[in-house]
Amino acid sequence: MATVPLNANGQAHSVEVSSDTPLLWVLRDTLGLTGTKYGCGIGACGACTVHLDGNAVRSCTLPVGQVGGRPITTIEGLSTDGDHPLQQAWLAENVSQCGYCQPGQIMAAAALVAENPNPSDADIDAAMSGNLCRCGTYQRIRRAIHRAAQEV
Amino acid sequence: MKAEYKQRQASTLSRRKFLKVSVAAGAGLTLGIYLSGCQGSPTPTPPPTSPPAPAAIPEEAGLLEPNVYLTVDRRGIATIRSFRSEMGQGIRTAMAMIVAEELDVEWPAVRIEQSPTDPAYGNQVTGGSVSISQHYSILRQAGGAARQMLVTAAANRWRVEAKSCRTESGEVIHPDGEQRLSYGALVDAAAELPIPAQREVQLKDPQDFRIIGTPVPLYDAPQMVKGSAIYGSDVSVPNMLYATVARCPEFGGKVGSFEAASARAVAGVHDVIQIDSGIAVVADDTWAAIQGRAVLDITWQEGSYADWDSASIRQLLAKNAPQPGEAAADGGAALDAAYDIPYLAHATMEPMTCVADMRADRCEVWAPTQDPQAAKRRVGFITGLPQEAIIIHVPHLGGGFGRRLEVDYVVEAVQISQAVDAPIKLVWTREDDIQHDFYHPLSYNYVRAELDDTGRPAAMPGVRSHPMLFGVPTGYWRSIEHFTEAFARESFLDEIAARNNLDPHELRRELLPARASAVVDLAAAQAGWGSPLPEGWGRGIAYYATHGATHVAQVAEVSVAPDGAVRVHRVVCAVDCGTVVNPDTVKAQMEGGIVFGLTAALKAGITIKAGRTEQSNFHDYPLLRMDEMPVVEVHIVPSDEDPSGIGEMGVPPIAPAVANAIFAATGKRLRRLPIRAEDLRGA
Repeated sequence: MATVPLNANGQAHSVEVSSDTPLLWVLRDTLGLTGTKYGCGIGACGACTVHLDGNAVRSCTLPVGQVGGRPITTIEGLSTDGDHPLQQAWLAENVSQCGYCQPGQIMAAAALVAENPNPSDADIDAAMSGNLCRCGTYQRIRRAIHRAAQEV
Repeated sequence: MKAEYKQRQASTLSRRKFLKVSVAAGAGLTLGIYLSGCQGSPTPTPPPTSPPAPAAIPEEAGLLEPNVYLTVDRRGIATIRSFRSEMGQGIRTAMAMIVAEELDVEWPAVRIEQSPTDPAYGNQVTGGSVSISQHYSILRQAGGAARQMLVTAAANRWRVEAKSCRTESGEVIHPDGEQRLSYGALVDAAAELPIPAQREVQLKDPQDFRIIGTPVPLYDAPQMVKGSAIYGSDVSVPNMLYATVARCPEFGGKVGSFEAASARAVAGVHDVIQIDSGIAVVADDTWAAIQGRAVLDITWQEGSYADWDSASIRQLLAKNAPQPGEAAADGGAALDAAYDIPYLAHATMEPMTCVADMRADRCEVWAPTQDPQAAKRRVGFITGLPQEAIIIHVPHLGGGFGRRLEVDYVVEAVQISQAVDAPIKLVWTREDDIQHDFYHPLSYNYVRAELDDTGRPAAMPGVRSHPMLFGVPTGYWRSIEHFTEAFARESFLDEIAARNNLDPHELRRELLPARASAVVDLAAAQAGWGSPLPEGWGRGIAYYATHGATHVAQVAEVSVAPDGAVRVHRVVCAVDCGTVVNPDTVKAQMEGGIVFGLTAALKAGITIKAGRTEQSNFHDYPLLRMDEMPVVEVHIVPSDEDPSGIGEMGVPPIAPAVANAIFAATGKRLRRLPIRAEDLRGA
């Protein structure tokens, strides 16, 4: 066990966990930020995507000890009340089915549009193909990203 | 699997029959039941002959609760109870739309809550794509009964005939067209009135529908995009511990002996215990439970399937079945072929999980399940608790696809909670999920048709399916055997067409009844059937009616690269599901069904070696990805027929449509799934 500092959604935390614990489980079990989901544990599905220093990372394979005090943003911290243009676009395009993968999809998309405000279909393919959706909402995710890009 | 499935269907039918009988006997459906409003309190179903119960005085005044499906409060808010599980198919929204339509309120005045398990709802299994088709009338009656009571309350106050009043947007309107009373102002008086019998409930003319048939966004979507929707894996109760289970990797195997010391030495691990399915590690958090399990030393006792593998299973099935070529050998104008389907996993994005709090005299469970009543029965069976001491909560399901019709993970969670005397959250890893699924069965499928002198079959060919239903666990997988039958039959029709120079679209028109033909025609027309495609591309068509309901036709446009890589560019889908409740959900379910079927067609199957599953995670059981997603267009046939299901129906036609398109592009016929580049290299 170690005392690990964390800066999640603008809040400073100090958590008692073993430093090899993946960030995902610290967010979910220790901090109660359950919007970030577990899907595979090997960085192969993107359900656990959060931002570290503004970059999309897979929190299921990132040991919390390696995070340090760098800023983490989870789906709960992406906007104050679900009003990020991507969240709004997700609603406008009725993207969600079961919804389980969507926080990870939105976090991956948010990192994409922050860097590339008007992504092409190829850019979306490149940025989003690591985020799996078993319900098959890809076509609507693509539309929602284009919609949000126009509104940003 | 099939027998059990039929049994479930039969029990559903008998329930419907019961309702009809009870209505005929004047029992007024379930409208005679007054619930105290207490979540989880079991309500007895009245015998079919019992007279309508009088309306009880609500314990909390100001709540109209005419039946188990809804309440209306003093604010005019309608709270509609979903008694089926939400797993992305939009059922909570769709059922509430139907109730709200007949209640005649605006959608923003609707709240949806998940119902407890209650026999008053009948069968609560969410499966077989039947939630809407079986409850469309019941839910209309439920909303209509409440509206009628509110109208009567207003008419009594105004001293006018109820029949002369009308409703609009949560208000009753006086015959003078001026005076209005909001539902909220009427609930106290309405709650005192007798509940109308079903036959007395006046339903809307479908021409007047304002909610049914319009695209309503999923009720839960705002929480989903904020990360605040609560799935089974997000449930947390005070003093909860976390658990993982090590299960025998070989099917049918058991724990021989185990050494727990190393697992107990992992920081955060509380306990290591044996349950029916294996060895459970209970810890302070998920990671400790995973780490503890990783260092368990278990000697497994092998089962009887140690020498089983996919190839030997296939051989076993084909051995006593007809072989392709028999038709030709018979000398007549007949054609036959055999098609292979592998085991397939559900791979819901949320792996199995369950929270259980087992006490001496009661058990509370939070289970993302498609069958909460089965969960309740099983918990009663393993704990000895009476049914009324068991509470099953159903949070959101992170995908279901039939996997969550099984309640194995509920049993595990309850056994662990009981053993450690604490509430626990059971976590399955992805490896657990892929390796301990109830798979879509591997099958060998033979099709044969006698052809007339124009090369046409007299009727739609039947598929003789030989699935392996024992040894490797199998279960319900979105569209069950219809997926298999559609691949075999619709590929075979294409073979008949190709051999006899018939148009695959025309051949289907000739064999199908009018309503089905119209769907095939719509898909073909929208896809531009017969129009030119780029070099190396092909177009394929398939039609199927899953569960005999809901006609779906799909046309796929495909190209095949020299290395055998298949790219699906576009899928045009036509669907006739009768009356449409939520057209956007119909489209979403077709899109999703196509992606689910494409994953099975193009990606990976489950293979068995030495009595165990070879795949373990998304690296070797990949799903279709964003960069592989075709453009999907869905066209709905307008209809005022009874509504039929949509959850599974988009899945079956896509694999044969793609295989037929590959044939059109390459001349290469594929008779096994998944489609492999090696089968197409240099084609």
